[in-house]
Amino acid sequence: MDASLTLQLLQDGFFAAVAAVGFAAISRPPRQAYIWCALIAAAGHSTRFLLQHQEIFPGLSGIVAATTLASLVVGILAVLCSPIARMPAETCLYPALLPMIPGMYAYRCFGALAVCVLHPAQATYDKYFYLFASNGMVCLFTLLGMVLAASVPIFLFKKISFTATR
Amino acid sequence: MNSSSPATTCTPTILCERAGINDTTRFLAEYSAYLLGCGATTMRLEMNVNRMARVWGYEADLFTLPRHIHLTLRDIASQETNTVTVSVPPVPINFAVNTRLSNLSWKVADGKVDFSDAVALYRRIIRVPKQNDILLMLAVAAANAAFCRLFGGDIAAMLIVAVSTFCGYFLKLTMLCHHIDVRLTVIACAAVSSILAAGDYLFAISGTPALAVGTSILYLVPGIPFINSFSDLFNRHYICAFSRFLDAVILTGCLSLGLCIGMALMKISMF
Repeated sequence: MDASLTLQLLQDGFFAAVAAVGFAAISRPPRQAYIWCALIAAAGHSTRFLLQHQEIFPGLSGIVAATTLASLVVGILAVLCSPIARMPAETCLYPALLPMIPGMYAYRCFGALAVCVLHPAQATYDKYFYLFASNGMVCLFTLLGMVLAASVPIFLFKKISFTATR
Repeated sequence: MNSSSPATTCTPTILCERAGINDTTRFLAEYSAYLLGCGATTMRLEMNVNRMARVWGYEADLFTLPRHIHLTLRDIASQETNTVTVSVPPVPINFAVNTRLSNLSWKVADGKVDFSDAVALYRRIIRVPKQNDILLMLAVAAANAAFCRLFGGDIAAMLIVAVSTFCGYFLKLTMLCHHIDVRLTVIACAAVSSILAAGDYLFAISGTPALAVGTSILYLVPGIPFINSFSDLFNRHYICAFSRFLDAVILTGCLSLGLCIGMALMKISMF
């Protein structure tokens, strides 16, 4: 791995950690959760960055597959850390997933739908309907993949996940 | 905690003092409604409630509706049943409360607290101290600026996003404090944040104005309801999953509408 990629990876992890901590504050986790949220988010987002950077998965499926695999990493880390932090796995897991929520795709999907309704001429409609469908599908499948992958460790390590607050 | 001698044997291994079926059902229904309100998944809800009910000698059947909890308790010894329906309180997502309520269920399960202590502890847990709004606004502004960077924005764009997020979030807190509808609040906040971020287009401050506008509203994306809805879906709680998903989609629609309003006012295009 070259130095520039390492730097980019570290930067990605750092900003993902800041984003996770800031957005975690909205959902008011316990104080000790912030450090775990930051570390897990940094690990997850860097994994996604690396997978997308290596272009292992082509086209639009790239973000879906990369997010799914990165969410699996986040899920495993959150479950393993929850007994140490003595809080439910979701407390670290959800804020750590937030930087990977496909928010841009979600509102672009709605924006394209609005243009479809406002400009019914076929050429414009076709273009924006495509944008509506592609953004909507990327958003939906990214969310599905993300939550499925992040939930798998909770089901696999049920005993750890649900006894962490004991 | 109370260490008085137990009144009733609830399970073969744990001795604990328990209340009548009416009080227990009411408490567990309120507990689960609050837990659902503060962002717990249906899976955790069932686990926690069943854990406590079993210790007190009951079987619990939980029916989770979008805005209500319907709980039926059956006394294992006498087969007596009782059902209570309670509304889910309109409380913000709070993982600290979620953690403490889960911890309470374990204290009950381990026989460390009896029924009256559990109720007292529950009342203390849900008395949530007010959060420092300035710190919260700064944290959200920093988070959204970091988001802008993750999407490739430069330093100037990050600063613009931070300022527009801070103002938008201030408006959000103010409007919610005045009990204004959350959907209207999201539309207004998205419009204000996008208008402020569109200043980047007007004054050419950063090299990535499109990113500044695009990320300025991301703090309004209902991420946790989206995640919770899919988690409920995998747990086969379809009604709850669908309701949470629809709530999140409506809020996303509102923020897109706010963004469209802001962009139309500033005469810039989303695509």
